[in-house]
Amino acid sequence: MPELSKMKKPDVKVVLLGDMNVGKTSLLHRYTERKFKDTISTVGGAFFLKQWGPYNISIWDTAGREQFHGLGSMYCRGAAAIILTYDVTNWQSLSELEERFLSLTDTANHDCIYALVGNKVDLTDPKAHQSQDSDVASEDRTDSEDMRTEPQLPTPPTSPASLSGVMLQKQVTPEDAAALYGRILRYKGLDETSSQPAEKMCFETSAKTGYNVDSLFEALFDLVLPSILRQRNENQESPTVDLEECRGSSNKRAKSSCC
Amino acid sequence: MSVKAFELVPAVERDLLMGDKARINIECIECCGKHLYLGTNDCFIHHFLLDEVTTSKGKLSYSAQKLLHKYLGLKKPVAELRAASALERLIVLCDAIVFLVDMVTLETVPSAAGGGAKIRGVTAFCINENPVNGDPFCVEMGVLSSKRRTVQIYMVYEDRVQLVKEVNTPEQPCAVSLDGYFLCLALATQYMILNYNTGASQDLFPYSSEERKPIVKRIGREEFLLAAPGGLGMFANAEGVSQRAPVNWSESVISAAVCFPYVVALDESFITIHSMLDQQLKQTLSFRDGHILQDFEGKVILASTKAVYVLVPLPLERQIQDLLASHRVEEALILTEGAQRNIPKDKFQILHKRILQQAGFIQFGQLQFLEAKEHFRKGQLDVRELISLYPLLLPASSSFTRCHPPLHEFADLNHLAQGDQEKVLHCKKFLISYLGEVRSTEVANGCREDVDTALLKLYAEQDHESLLDLLASDNSCVLADSVPWLEKYHKFFALGLLYHYNGQDSAALQMWIRVVDGELQDSTRSDLFEYIVDFLCSSSNLDLIWKYADWALRKDPTKGVHIFTKRPQSKHLSELNPDDVITHLGKHTMALLLYLEHLVLERKSQKEKFHTHLAVLYLERVLSLLSESPRDEEQITRARERLQALLRESNLYSVQVLLGKLENCEQLLLERATLHGKLEEHDKALHILVHKLRDFPSAEAFCIWASCSRDCAYRQRLFHLLLEVYLKGNHTSAGGGVGDPEMAAVDLLNRHGEVFDAVRVLRMLPEGWSLQLLRPFLDRSVRASMHACRTSQIALGLSHSENLQLLHDRLKERKKPIYVSEKKGCHLCHNTFSEPDVVCLPGGVPVHKHCVAQRVRDSPTKSQLTNSSNHT
Repeated sequence: MPELSKMKKPDVKVVLLGDMNVGKTSLLHRYTERKFKDTISTVGGAFFLKQWGPYNISIWDTAGREQFHGLGSMYCRGAAAIILTYDVTNWQSLSELEERFLSLTDTANHDCIYALVGNKVDLTDPKAHQSQDSDVASEDRTDSEDMRTEPQLPTPPTSPASLSGVMLQKQVTPEDAAALYGRILRYKGLDETSSQPAEKMCFETSAKTGYNVDSLFEALFDLVLPSILRQRNENQESPTVDLEECRGSSNKRAKSSCC
Repeated sequence: MSVKAFELVPAVERDLLMGDKARINIECIECCGKHLYLGTNDCFIHHFLLDEVTTSKGKLSYSAQKLLHKYLGLKKPVAELRAASALERLIVLCDAIVFLVDMVTLETVPSAAGGGAKIRGVTAFCINENPVNGDPFCVEMGVLSSKRRTVQIYMVYEDRVQLVKEVNTPEQPCAVSLDGYFLCLALATQYMILNYNTGASQDLFPYSSEERKPIVKRIGREEFLLAAPGGLGMFANAEGVSQRAPVNWSESVISAAVCFPYVVALDESFITIHSMLDQQLKQTLSFRDGHILQDFEGKVILASTKAVYVLVPLPLERQIQDLLASHRVEEALILTEGAQRNIPKDKFQILHKRILQQAGFIQFGQLQFLEAKEHFRKGQLDVRELISLYPLLLPASSSFTRCHPPLHEFADLNHLAQGDQEKVLHCKKFLISYLGEVRSTEVANGCREDVDTALLKLYAEQDHESLLDLLASDNSCVLADSVPWLEKYHKFFALGLLYHYNGQDSAALQMWIRVVDGELQDSTRSDLFEYIVDFLCSSSNLDLIWKYADWALRKDPTKGVHIFTKRPQSKHLSELNPDDVITHLGKHTMALLLYLEHLVLERKSQKEKFHTHLAVLYLERVLSLLSESPRDEEQITRARERLQALLRESNLYSVQVLLGKLENCEQLLLERATLHGKLEEHDKALHILVHKLRDFPSAEAFCIWASCSRDCAYRQRLFHLLLEVYLKGNHTSAGGGVGDPEMAAVDLLNRHGEVFDAVRVLRMLPEGWSLQLLRPFLDRSVRASMHACRTSQIALGLSHSENLQLLHDRLKERKKPIYVSEKKGCHLCHNTFSEPDVVCLPGGVPVHKHCVAQRVRDSPTKSQLTNSSNHT
C-alpha cells in the first residue's frame, strides 16, 4: 500500500467547533486566503495545514450541522486547541456550544486550550469595520453585503456610518462569553488561576471584515507552542529516530523539559 | 467538473460465467495475480485466468479464460473468498462456516490431525494484511461470530486454523478490518478501534448499522476508511484520529476502495471517484446493479450480479494532461504533487517540471502573469520557450527549437491574443519584466545571448528606459540581430552603445556623429555632443581620438578641447603626448590656447616651451585685437590682463623671445616693464613705467611684485631705485600737477616709509622740500627708529636677566650639602664611613679620603680628582 500522507505530518491540531452558520469556514477562509466569500454548508469537515514558523499546524473546520455531530469527538481527539465559535447575533449559538459541543471536546488533549469566539461582530459593532488586516479589499465587502443586509437596505452601504443605522441587536455580550468560559474551565476541572484568563481567550471577530481574525489565530498558535514542544519531546524519547527533527531543537528540548 | 481518472473495462462477461442460467448471481470475488475467483449464490467457486491485453489502439482490455469451477456442496451462497497465496489456499465463508480449499484444485482441504480446518458460526472475517507475526506461511484472520459479542483472531495454516486470541466487544460487531494489533470494528451503534493485544479500545463515532450498511476498509498502515452518517467517507487511524478530511460520497454506498489518490465508492447506480487530496468529486461512472467493489493489490475490481469489471486507472500523466487541457491548473498540480511518492524521484521531477511549465503557459494565456511566472520559475522553464512565442525576438543565430510535445497550444503571440493589441502589449510587458528578472540568474545559463537579444528588442520596441542600462552593463546581445532592430526603432544612440560594447568604437562614433550632424534622428540624448567628447576623452584608443577630435573641434572648439584637457589620469589610459596634441591642434587656435592654458595653469607644466607658446599666443591675440578697428576695448583689456598675469606669474617662458616681439610695440609698455622686471632690469622697467607710462601706482606695484619673494634689502634697493627714478625725472620734466614724479616720490615715501633707509633718503632729497611735505614719512621713520632702539634695549635687558637667572641656578646646584652617614657606603671601596672627613667626587658623591688617595696613586690620569673641593 502506498504511503498516503501527502504532506508533512502536522505537529499540532486546532479544531473549530460551533453551531451551523456561525461562520467557522469563513473564519478559516479569511485567515488562510485573506478573503471573505460565500461558503456552502460544510459537509463532514475540512482541514488546512498552516506553516507556523518551523511547525505545521492543522486547522480542522468541522461541520456544524446536527447530522455530522457524531464526528466531532473524532476531530477533537488529540487537539491542542479548540475554537468554540458562536454568532454574536444569535444567543442560541452560544448555548449550543455548552449543550452540544462541549462534550465533544472530551477527547482533546488534557492540556488543550479553549478559545471562545463570537463571530459576525461587524453586524453589531461599527468598530469591527476597521479591519486590522491591511489587505482587506473593499470589493469583497460589498459583494457579500447583499447576502446579509440587503433585506434591510436598498443599496449596499459603503461606510460604517451608514451601516450603523441597520446594526443588528447584539444578543451575546463579551461578559456572557466570559461566563461561559468560566463554566468550561469548571467542566474541564481546570483551575481558573492556572488556566488562561477569560479576557485572553474570548474573542469577537468578523470573518467578513477580517476584524480580529489574525490576532485570534496567532494568539492561539503562540499558546499551543508548548504543546508542540512537549509532543516533539515525547517523540524524541521514542526509539524511532526522526531524521527530519533532529536538527537544532536541543535548546527547545531543554526548555520544555521543565513543564 | 470531472476528470477521467478511471475506465471501466469488462473482465468476465455474463456468458462466460453462467451461460443462460438466469438465477445465478455473483456473491463474492477474489483476485490474486492473474487468478480470479468468483463465488456464486448456488455455492460454486469459479476460477478464471485474467490476462491483460493491450489493443491496437493502446487501450487496455482483459480476456478471461475459465479454468475450473467447483461446487462446494453446501447449497448456500458463497459469502466470501480470500486467497492465502503463500499457502495456496482459498479461505471460504459459506453457510456461516469458514474453511479452506486448494487454490488450484478447489478441493476442500481435510482437517489435519490435532486442529480443525473449519470455524463455525461466522458472520464475517478479514485478513490481516499487516500482521505482527512475521511467519510468511500463516495468515492472520479476524473473525466475527454470530452469537457472541467477540472477535476471534485465528492463525490459518496450510491445513488448519488455530484460535490465538478472543476479545470481547461491548456490542455485536458486524464488520471488521485488521491491521497490526488493531481491529477496526463496526458495532451496532458505533465504530471503534480495538487493540487485541492490550485490549485498549477507542470509540470512533456513532453510526447506526441498522440504517446503513457499515463499511470498514483498511486503506493503509493503521488507517481505515469508514462510512459515516450523512454520506461521508471518514478516515481514521489506529489512534482514533482523522488525519484527512472526509469525502462526501452518497448515502447508499455499498462498498469503497482506495486507489491512490482516489477513493472509489460504489452505490446502486454509480461509481463515484473522489480525490483524497482535495476531497472533490472527480468522476462519476454509471454502473447498474453493482454490488461488489474491491481492490486487489492496487487493482480495483467491480462486479454486478452477473459480470465482472476492472476499473482501470488512466495513467497519471494522462489524467494530468486532461486537467490541463481543461485549464484546471490547480487540480493538475495537486494531483501531480500528490503522486510524488508513487513515482520514482527522477521521473517525478521531470513530470513535475513539465506540468508546472504547462500550467504556467495556461496561466500566461489567461494573462495571469503572476501565477505564470511562479510556475515558470518552479518548473525551471527554458525561457526561450516563452521568448519563442513572440515573433522575431529570438536571434536568427539561436539554435533553439521548441520542446516536443509542445508545452502549450499557441503558435505565437498573435495567435494567443487573437488580434487584441492590448493583450499583446500586456504580454510584452510581462516578458520584459520576466526577462529582466531572470537574465542575471542561472535560468539564463546557456541562452544568455537569446535572452539579452530578446530583451534588447523588446526594450527598443517599447521605448523602454532600461534599454540603455542593458547596453551599458554586461550583456550578451547578438550584434548582427540587434543592429537592424535598433535602426528600425531609431535607437541610434543605443546602437552606438552596442557597437562600443562589442569593441567597435569607431562604428559607434560614426553612428553618434551622424546623429549630432542631423543625418539621423534620435532624441535619446540631447547632449550627445558632450557625450561623444566625454567618450573620446576617456577612450584608450589614441587613433580614434586623433581621428574624431578634428570633428569635435570643428563642431565646438571650447567643448572639443575637453577631449584633451579632461582626460582622466589613470593607469588604464595611455597618456597623450602634449607635443602631439599641440601639433594636432595647430589649426584650431582657440582650442590650442585652451589646451595650453590647461597645461600651464592647471597641470602646472614646467616646460619652457608651453609657457612661451602660451605667452606668445596671448600676445598675438592682444596684438590682433589691437589691430582691429574699431577696437573692442573691453576685450582688449581682458586679453591684456591674461597676458600680464601670465607674464607676472610664470618664471618659465623665454623672456627674450617675448621681449623681441614686444620691442616695437609702444602700446604694450606695461608688459614690457614686466618682462624687464623678469630680467631684473629694474631700472629699465621703472624707467618705462615712470617716464613713458607715467603710471606711478603701477611702478609701486611693480616694486612690490618684483621683490615679493626676496628679502628686505632687495626690496629696499628697489624702492630706492624707484625713488631715484622719480627724483631724477624731476630734472628732465619740471611740470607740476598730480602726475608729477616729485609728488609721486613724496607719496611713495609717505606710504612706504618703513621700507626706506631714512638716512639715505634724507641725503637724496632735494633741499627745497618742506618738512611738512614729508612729515608722515619722517614721523614714521623716527618712530620706527625709536621703536627699534627701545625694542633692542628691552631685548638686551631680558637677555641679561635670563643670564643672571641661569647663573643663580648653577650656583644653587653647586652649593647643595653632601650627606654622609654611617649607613652610607663609599662608592670606591663600599665600606661605610666612620669619620666625617670625606672627599667629594663631582656630582656630590662622597668617598673615603684614603680611597681617593689610592685611586690617584694608581692612575695618574685621574689626578684632577684631587682638585675637587673638600666638604663635610
